[in-house]
Amino acid sequence: MLMDSPHDRLELDSQLTELIRLRSWIDLVTNHLDFAEEDRFAVQLCVEEAVANIILHGYRSEAGHPIIVRTCASAERTLTITIDDQAPPFSPIEHHSHLPNDMKPLSLESITPGGNGIRLLHGFSGSLSYERLADGNRLIMAFPAP
Amino acid sequence: MTISTEPMDGDITRVLLDGRLDIQGAAAIDLRMNVLAGSSKFLLIDLTNVSFLGSMGLRSIIIPAQAVRRRGGKVALLRPTQMVEEVLKASNVDQIIPIFHDLDSAVGALC
Repeated sequence: MLMDSPHDRLELDSQLTELIRLRSWIDLVTNHLDFAEEDRFAVQLCVEEAVANIILHGYRSEAGHPIIVRTCASAERTLTITIDDQAPPFSPIEHHSHLPNDMKPLSLESITPGGNGIRLLHGFSGSLSYERLADGNRLIMAFPAP
Repeated sequence: MTISTEPMDGDITRVLLDGRLDIQGAAAIDLRMNVLAGSSKFLLIDLTNVSFLGSMGLRSIIIPAQAVRRRGGKVALLRPTQMVEEVLKASNVDQIIPIFHDLDSAVGALC
């Protein structure tokens, strides 16, 4: 069942200023579904991290490329968010498997300031999957809805 | 995102952040954070009023903390909200920068 809402699709341009529009849109979607504060935080975090990653790394901060975000709320009370881009192939699932072991003790000197976006995507989304498209990438995130 | 500072006893600089520490918030505070990291021995980063923390915001905490540590100083985080603390834990930052929920404990750990 598709979510009965005018807010089920958002097209963004590949520039960081678009994150402001994205944030407002995610607020509308999660408010519409009565998400609790912490669940709204998790959705915001994952979608912003994913889109920022596409802009900064996929499109290398070059404006003029599309990012399409879609939402679908199912009868199983799951909010699914799909993000399509036309950037070179990049799988956050595969990338995550190459990150350092989370359980390994760290020191402040040795920690790398970057790379946390993918880790946060995995930590805060209910589920995460990736599809390679003919002309880009598709990231699918699912969150339990109230 | 706003940033302000408050000198405390024991050569501690308390940094009060207010707002969303996302990519825009990080850009707004990075310069000031780096200046503070270059001039403070003990940095207490007060997250009480930080409503959101993303990966770029984490960088705004980690990089200055590394600079302070290289100069022989210490950094602590104060009173993150539940979700901000979960972000810190998910990225293992809590293992390398201590988190406190009361001011006295944080000050005691820094001095």
